Amino acid sequence: MTRTLSRLLTDYGMIFVLALLCAFFSVATYSEQSPTGEVAARQVAAEIEVKFGKTPRVLIVARDQADEALFASKLEAALSASGAKVLGVVKGEPKDARAALLKIVAESKSLDAIAGTRAAAAWLVFADLKADFPMLLDPQLVQPRTEKWPNFLKSENLVNIANQIAVIAIIAIGMTMVIITGGIDLSVGSLIALSAVLAARFIRDYAGAEQSSVFGMTLAGIAAVLICALIGAFSGGMITVFGIPPFIVTLAMMLVGSGLAYLLAAGQSIYQLPDSFVWLGRGEGLWKIPNAVLLMLILYGAAHVLMSRMRLGRHLYAVGGNREAARLSGVPVWRVLMFAYIASALLAGLGGVIMASQLKSGSATYGNMYELYVIAAVVVGGTSLSGGEGKMFGTLIGAFTIAVIQNGMNLTNVESYTQKVVLGGVILGAVLLDKIRHGQWLGGVSNGPR
Amino acid sequence: MKNTLWFLLASTLLCSLGCGKADEAVKPSGSQSPVATSATTTKGTIGVSLLTLDNPFFKVIGDSITSEGKKLGYETIVVSADKDVAKQSNQIKDFIVKKVSAIVLSPCDSKSIIPVIQEANAAGIPVFTVDIPCNEPGVKIATQVATDNYGGGKEAGHAMIEALGEAGGKVAILHFKQAESCLLRVKGFREVIDEHNKSAASKIELVTELESGGAKDMGYKAAEDSLQAHADLRGIFAINDPAALGARAALEKAGKADQVLIVGFDGQPEGKQAIKEGKIYADPIQFPDKMGVEIVAAIVKHSKGEELPPQMLIPTSLYRKADAEADPELK
Repeated sequence: MTRTLSRLLTDYGMIFVLALLCAFFSVATYSEQSPTGEVAARQVAAEIEVKFGKTPRVLIVARDQADEALFASKLEAALSASGAKVLGVVKGEPKDARAALLKIVAESKSLDAIAGTRAAAAWLVFADLKADFPMLLDPQLVQPRTEKWPNFLKSENLVNIANQIAVIAIIAIGMTMVIITGGIDLSVGSLIALSAVLAARFIRDYAGAEQSSVFGMTLAGIAAVLICALIGAFSGGMITVFGIPPFIVTLAMMLVGSGLAYLLAAGQSIYQLPDSFVWLGRGEGLWKIPNAVLLMLILYGAAHVLMSRMRLGRHLYAVGGNREAARLSGVPVWRVLMFAYIASALLAGLGGVIMASQLKSGSATYGNMYELYVIAAVVVGGTSLSGGEGKMFGTLIGAFTIAVIQNGMNLTNVESYTQKVVLGGVILGAVLLDKIRHGQWLGGVSNGPR
Repeated sequence: MKNTLWFLLASTLLCSLGCGKADEAVKPSGSQSPVATSATTTKGTIGVSLLTLDNPFFKVIGDSITSEGKKLGYETIVVSADKDVAKQSNQIKDFIVKKVSAIVLSPCDSKSIIPVIQEANAAGIPVFTVDIPCNEPGVKIATQVATDNYGGGKEAGHAMIEALGEAGGKVAILHFKQAESCLLRVKGFREVIDEHNKSAASKIELVTELESGGAKDMGYKAAEDSLQAHADLRGIFAINDPAALGARAALEKAGKADQVLIVGFDGQPEGKQAIKEGKIYADPIQFPDKMGVEIVAAIVKHSKGEELPPQMLIPTSLYRKADAEADPELK
């Protein structure tokens, strides 16, 4: 038991750091929430009955949004049932509330209460009712009681985080394989842009633009991903056949990919896509999990099996650990390397299609600097840049660590410059932790388990 | 066992490190706006996502929104999208989760930002744009505050005519075609020059239009190339200050600083200094601080339920050497 636990900690120490970050941001974003919906409506209705008796005159205000509209209609029903007079229901903007107030004034009626969601009650149109609408005889604002809950831990925010990191996490799968073989792939950022532009162009030019069918869009997406895979094959070929260092080859392909994307997009974004194209990036499937996140989880499951249960996975580690030894023991080194680079480019292409779908357009500006975030996710996840070592789920945790830090800082009002400093610090800290954990410090004197 | 011990030691270390950092990180904003303040004590939060904060122009917009917002009781979060539309989308999603009372953005890409603006619309949060508009169907923008770039371009045209005087001559344009605002600037500029050419004895010939990226390095290259092609160039219109300053460097290197006059755009501190030193002839200057003030005023108006115009244009004004010498901000 202790043994398993300690193994888990050595293998996935970053889980701990991630949990710590989550706990920290939960505390930091602990703030008042504005309840909406049926419960809040009942509570407000009861409060109005207590404060103003059986027949108060009430104006209901809410924003034009599903939850708040529900609040407004439930409140209207509850108040009408208890005998109150609802003089108006506003589901919209402050402008509409002003119009409703003016209408009540015009009918020379007075108002006892204005009942609204907290967001609507905060509108400045109600800030000085006595001065602005003296005819109404100073109505009171009634709003739901607040409850306290961390913004960070709201289910919509957690889904938000997963959705934000899906593209980077998916690409990081391929990057983990490449880095485990001891290489690097700098071209993934450009391939995102290239694939997004390709997919968007295929749909626009060959699949009927806005009228494109699902089949046409799928084909366009697959074609874009396959073209990226071809570029990956080219990089892999350069690396294995001519022995050019991966850094150089993929740096070149980064420029080629980015240039091609700009050429194909003619510097513009391509947006003539059907509305249904957003299904992949923004649609929700089972249990309200976004499709992109579901795809990410499935890919991680598959990659984990590949790396830990299949021969190809062991070969990847072997090639990264000691290429010569791997070759001598009969590992088909060049095939393994080709696989890693093709997988990396293919997943980058997939990431590009997802991004195009999320943003419902393709543009050559996508994916700028993403290679660095992807590499950061892999490294934070405990994969060694010298190869031969690393875990797929570690990478997933690394990606989430980065996403949580970015999201948490956005939620706690940390400005952009500081965000970069903190992110850099955390990446460094994570790698440092990894080194210390393995006892590789003080000039590499190893006293660790290896 | 040893292993576990090491791990525990390390995690405590990182823990204290991480927490210390995060605390520090919260402080700068905390001093202006305590994180835990409830919505009842302030009028709400304004979420601001600007194209970039590397360009001082946007930094000024952000700062003026913050200071004006503070004056009127709003908290603000200003973040930089670093010209990455995916990053900007994420920032806006975070604003929506945080339930800010208004979102201000300068879109990195007016097409790709549509879905996330629609999300904000669906969440009932009013969206305002600053500097860069988003005139796409299907999105609801409360109002757009921007510089009158077309009018500014015309002013630049007049400045060029004034600079070249009777002689006229060849003029190059250093463009940044990706930006809608720059297209408008060049349009205004061309119209004034064309109008001038109809009546003038010696015409101003717009010989070339090169991409400058709106940055010093590319402006430098573009100006060098246009000097190679047109040795008798007399004027350059650069769509912003960095491009103008890049062009100036190229002119100095080629020893043609006296032959070719530059008209820039923006009026950033560095550009104003260059005007004072005679390196740039004149700039139609923008007023980013006014933009911030107008945006906050628009947010208050919107919240009061008053009507807003779909667009609020802030005129530029021409800034010459004499203005620079009288400018107290320049030493």
